[in-house]
Amino acid sequence: MSDVPAIIHWMQNSGIGTGIRESIWFFPIIETTHVLALALSVGVLIWFDLRLMGWGMKHQPVSQIHKQIMPLAFFGFVVMTISGVLLFWSEPEKCYLSGFFRVKVLFLILAAINAGIFELRTKKSIEDWDKYPVPPMQARMAGLISIISWAAVIIAGRATAYNLF
Amino acid sequence: MHALLPFFKWCDNTWLGETIRGSRLYFPIIETFHLLALTILFGAVLVLTMRMCGLMMTSQPTSQVARDLGPWAGWSLLVILVSGIMLFLSEAMKCYASKPFQVKMLFLLGALIFHFTVHRSVSRSEREPKLAWGAVVGVVNALLWLGVGLGGRAIGFL
Repeated sequence: MSDVPAIIHWMQNSGIGTGIRESIWFFPIIETTHVLALALSVGVLIWFDLRLMGWGMKHQPVSQIHKQIMPLAFFGFVVMTISGVLLFWSEPEKCYLSGFFRVKVLFLILAAINAGIFELRTKKSIEDWDKYPVPPMQARMAGLISIISWAAVIIAGRATAYNLF
Repeated sequence: MHALLPFFKWCDNTWLGETIRGSRLYFPIIETFHLLALTILFGAVLVLTMRMCGLMMTSQPTSQVARDLGPWAGWSLLVILVSGIMLFLSEAMKCYASKPFQVKMLFLLGALIFHFTVHRSVSRSEREPKLAWGAVVGVVNALLWLGVGLGGRAIGFL
């Protein structure tokens, strides 16, 4: 694997990368933490997205669900990011060359942009539609894009491990 | 465990098990559905547990939150069980020899029994359960499902 950028090659052969890759326990433990943090953060985020789309928990004001779910989701994202970086570090060459991993990163970026637009723009008018069972189109789209991109992240992430392409 | 060996052998030889085993793509695809559905179920369990611990959505009765989450949790559980059985059929003999699989099945049995007896009656009761009692029931339920998840992940590693 010579045609990878120098940084990828360096990570692959660094002490951290080699240590995780060659340990019997590190990789499974970090991987399990990654999956649990994923279930925690995306698992609760989906309920906020469903509320945004007007599909679930319609009796609750959107702002209340947002306030209560985001700390949990954020904690999960931090754990997921740290464990994810470590997993990547243990096999950067495989990830870099994997088509699925690239798809995963693309959808991660899409999810981040979508969340940014919602937090910085869409949420400003929340007082006007907080109690509506079905929020306006812009908010519904934010929920839909979030669910689609996280599902794609999970699918592509799982597929990266199978090494199909 | 030996008494169950013929059953595992039979599962391993089913048409469905052999078909999934024979394809490079079926197992990953089914596994992905399994993972997506368990994310939804795990999220629902967590949200409801937080409510039963009095940490979330306290303006709503627990029974209302439970009813809101119910259909999603139910459908995701159905997808998990169907996809899980398919995955199992494709590698029944591997599961037979797997300690984590036995642990997972015990937790699953415990989680299902607890969920459909104690947990359901407490979380859907018309009268709001006492906070301490609700919290205990919620946390036990969440821990049982966590055991299922950890056991499941370990099958692939050990």
